[in-house]
Amino acid sequence: MRAMVIDDSRAMRMILKRIVTKLNFDAVEAGDGQEALDLLADMPEVPELALIDWNMPNMNGLEFVTNVRADPRLREMTLVMVTTESEQSQIVRALAAGAHEYVIKPFTEGAMIEKLALLGLVPTGANS
Amino acid sequence: MTLSQPEFAFVSTLVRKEASIVLAPGKEYLVEARLIPVARAVGAANVNEFLAELQRRPNPAHQRKIIDALTTNETSWFRDREPFAALTDVILPELIKSRATTRKVRFWSGASSSGQEAYSLAITLQEALPSGWNYEIVGTDISTEMVKRAETAEYSQVEVNRGLPASQLVQYFERAGAHWRVTSQLRKNVSFKLMNLTAPLPAMQPFDVIFMRNVLIYFDVATKRTVLQNVAKLLRPDGWLFLGAAETTIGIDDNYERVAAGRTSAYRVRTGVPAGASRRG
Amino acid sequence: MSVEVEVNENDLAEMVEQVWESYLDPEGINPLIPTYDENQPSEVHSSVSISGSWTGHIVYACSIEAARRAAAAFLAMEPDEVSQEDLSDVLGELANIVGGNVKAMLPPGAFLSLPQVVLAPESTARFPNTERISGVYGIWDGEPVSISMWHSRADNNQEDGA
Ligand SMILES: C[S@@+](CC[C@H](N)C(=O)[O-])C[C@H]1O[C@@H](n2cnc3c(N)ncnc32)[C@H](O)[C@@H]1O
Repeated sequence: MRAMVIDDSRAMRMILKRIVTKLNFDAVEAGDGQEALDLLADMPEVPELALIDWNMPNMNGLEFVTNVRADPRLREMTLVMVTTESEQSQIVRALAAGAHEYVIKPFTEGAMIEKLALLGLVPTGANS
Repeated sequence: MTLSQPEFAFVSTLVRKEASIVLAPGKEYLVEARLIPVARAVGAANVNEFLAELQRRPNPAHQRKIIDALTTNETSWFRDREPFAALTDVILPELIKSRATTRKVRFWSGASSSGQEAYSLAITLQEALPSGWNYEIVGTDISTEMVKRAETAEYSQVEVNRGLPASQLVQYFERAGAHWRVTSQLRKNVSFKLMNLTAPLPAMQPFDVIFMRNVLIYFDVATKRTVLQNVAKLLRPDGWLFLGAAETTIGIDDNYERVAAGRTSAYRVRTGVPAGASRRG
Repeated sequence: MSVEVEVNENDLAEMVEQVWESYLDPEGINPLIPTYDENQPSEVHSSVSISGSWTGHIVYACSIEAARRAAAAFLAMEPDEVSQEDLSDVLGELANIVGGNVKAMLPPGAFLSLPQVVLAPESTARFPNTERISGVYGIWDGEPVSISMWHSRADNNQEDGA
């Protein structure tokens, strides 16, 4: 399986990449929503999962989610917001725009894996 | 500056006597790490001094603090998922038929820690019971601190990340400063009490479903058996008991039988077994 | 009209604790031990600015050694493998995470800037016209670390965040 990690912080991308790699995903990185869309346009196979920061330059995570939801080719992608935005209204907005799950920073590795398990994206037994 | 043999023995005797919890030798380092904040909080220079003082002059409040610090409170929302799925898919549809006259179900979260299990049950019931039904959930724990936390029903960001779907976070919680608080809609059906499972249990109305998970593992076999026997008396004859993934009644208490419940298993008191059934009155 | 800000020392301390639990000390063996010393020295710092319903800054300051260890813990590498870039990235992200959580406690309509990292002591970069409203000061693994929150007194001093 493939996962796209979209965050303008390289440090955060490394953390997320480490976690999804442990779960046997091949990870692709993007530094903002636009870069992610550009990468997706060139990918023959759509990744199963995207982990998406909210506040990023060029195109933020919410706009990215909206764009993905509007594109039938990307319909199968599971979208998880991973952000410090933690107002209730923001979570509601992201879910309404089409995000499937929402992880608030800071998160522990265990919490991230549990969220992915909720979405059926963790093969049983991979839960280390 | 790790714990000496006698110091470790003093602490392990204390938690075995008071909470029936067995501390394996070799856990000296862990015990010390957990006691450092306790020692600091009571103004002792270090753990050694804190324990020396407690041995000289027993102090129930300080003993309580040690027990609180050494019990593992690890928990999360919808922990292990399958038991909650089994409720929704199998057990609640059955209870909705069998309790149609009273339209009420009673659940117990024994060893409720900071309350996530009890409130996860509340969310499950809230979503699965038809309108007009009532439910009551009792959470109990040996730790005063945990009972207080569960009653407060406020969880940190890190805690709400753990196993709680975002859609339920926004529906059943509200922001309270840095925390998230369970809404009063759920809280009004959930109560918490201090209770030591290894002491004689207080009289309670029997329960339709008991969750007693990840607590038997801390007890020795004899204690497990006593607890299971006492719990049987509080389970309705057609009720269900859920244990933790690493726990079982098999080989400990044959009054229970293991039954499939969705993709996991639960335990029911065997029919025709007098133990419990007769004493339930 | 000034807005009552409901972020006190305890809230800040709790957020800091969560950052430690999540990234810097997942095993729970190396907490930030409070010193309550508002004047403890630092060698590097990072900050995010908040604008809109509330104006001010969140500052993460520490020694170079503490920053190196934070980066190592964050990125799962050895402290001597940490590059200057790693160090800056992680410092920036730490300020961003605390700042984002502080923002959620402010009245609606607050905006967070991208983080700024300065490899110089916090004392070189006092924010003009601000006062400290809360702070967590401590020693982590023998090294100084602090997280503080500064409020801009005059609203026309608003920074161009976001
Ligand atoms: C690991 S937690 C389990 C929480 C929850 N049931 C779950 O599975 O997520 C164990 C809890 O058991 C409690 N406990 C330990 N010994 C106990 C006893 N003798 N009586 C009641 N509770 C006890 C501890 O205080 C702790 O909160």
